[in-house]
Amino acid sequence: MKVLRLSAIWAALALGVGLFVLLGYFVDLGFIQNFRLTFLRWAVLLAAAALVVGLANLLAVHWRKVSLTEEGWIYSGVLILSFTVTLVLALVFRPDGQAALFIFNTFQLPLESSLMAVLAVSLLVAGFRLVNRRRDLLSLLFVGTALMVLLGTGPAPGGAEGPVVIALRDFRAWLSQVWAAGGARGILLGVALGATATGLRVLLAADRPYGS
Amino acid sequence: MTVGGLQGLVVLAVFVALMVGFLAVNQRWPAHFRRIPAFEALRQAIERAVEAGERVHVSLGTGSVIGPESAPALAGLAALTRIARATSISDRPVVVTTGDGAMAILARDSLRSTYQEVGASELYEPTSGRLLGATPLSYAAGLPAVLANERVSVHVLSGAFGVEAGLAADFGERAGLFVIGGSDDVQAQALFYAVAQHPLIGEEVFASGAYLEVGTMHTASLRAQDFVRFGLIVLILLGVIVRTLEGPL
Repeated sequence: MKVLRLSAIWAALALGVGLFVLLGYFVDLGFIQNFRLTFLRWAVLLAAAALVVGLANLLAVHWRKVSLTEEGWIYSGVLILSFTVTLVLALVFRPDGQAALFIFNTFQLPLESSLMAVLAVSLLVAGFRLVNRRRDLLSLLFVGTALMVLLGTGPAPGGAEGPVVIALRDFRAWLSQVWAAGGARGILLGVALGATATGLRVLLAADRPYGS
Repeated sequence: MTVGGLQGLVVLAVFVALMVGFLAVNQRWPAHFRRIPAFEALRQAIERAVEAGERVHVSLGTGSVIGPESAPALAGLAALTRIARATSISDRPVVVTTGDGAMAILARDSLRSTYQEVGASELYEPTSGRLLGATPLSYAAGLPAVLANERVSVHVLSGAFGVEAGLAADFGERAGLFVIGGSDDVQAQALFYAVAQHPLIGEEVFASGAYLEVGTMHTASLRAQDFVRFGLIVLILLGVIVRTLEGPL
């Protein structure tokens, strides 16, 4: 009974706050706008606190791995060490200080850039795999379009003003501005409707991501 | 109130009325949706994972709870409750990862309440809903370790993704897992189409609740979505016709 009552309170809270925030988008009344901004500020604060909780959870997961010497525990050890060093340096020398910037520029930026490079290779392999795995009209159209867009974007041996280059560039523009943009608008329309339905389900307490 | 604001409120009111209306007539007038092979394959893959004692991994993406990018992750959370129910008889319960701290908390809450509902509270582990990385690429970099160390065989990607969608799906494909991926981002959808075995295109990611039978409200909201969509298509076509006829005059 107590659990049921608590769940009803969470649902009522979500509904009330959600309604004020939603109304704030449509109704230009002072008190609604004030409530909306206050709730949004609270949400930003709570999200920041949730990040701290999430990081604590991340540490707990990896600490357990190290404690139980599970497979790959050494990487978990590296993560805990890196996390601790970065946190201490950021706290001592400020988050925007030289030490934190050094860590960001020396480790995080190159690592993330190399992941983007891995993505380029993965996509190339995926293109071949796609043609092998799903040999249908849509897949061939997808790969063919990607090739045409690449040809129309990259440099060409005949120079930038050659007739073939101009034709490819025009074709790429036609593909991306007419077909791709049209398709993307259709998809975004569907996505907007789906997002609206999802939001309304949360508002009506049919979906309770905060637990029932 | 502006005219635009009033129009927005009217559309929302119509949407809610349609959802409630379709919910009321659901028994008498059951819905028949088109076949989406990815969801059929997902059901079978989950059954196989449960039988083989392998784990299902649900990725809720890298989007924040605050903002429009939360919608696909919320749809993923709804699907998660159904997946958690289905895998509650397994030795290895579902594991959820995300790139947002608040979303990780919501995932843990969803798992805890679902396990309580099915009388399997002992399955809940505080580490089953995890934040993998605070940036999109660091999140993607953390995925291979989860997929390899947790004996995952089903890799469900449902949330807000950017370019990391390609990596997230590719790590699953390379490990030979069942990969299904959906996002609200057009670019991420294209990446899923190229990389994932079972891509969800357009708003299919939002239909997961209805197709996985999470609840009647999911079915009702999908029907309302279709209804409003047809209304919009008719309005767009009427607009095109009117503008075309206006042109030469």
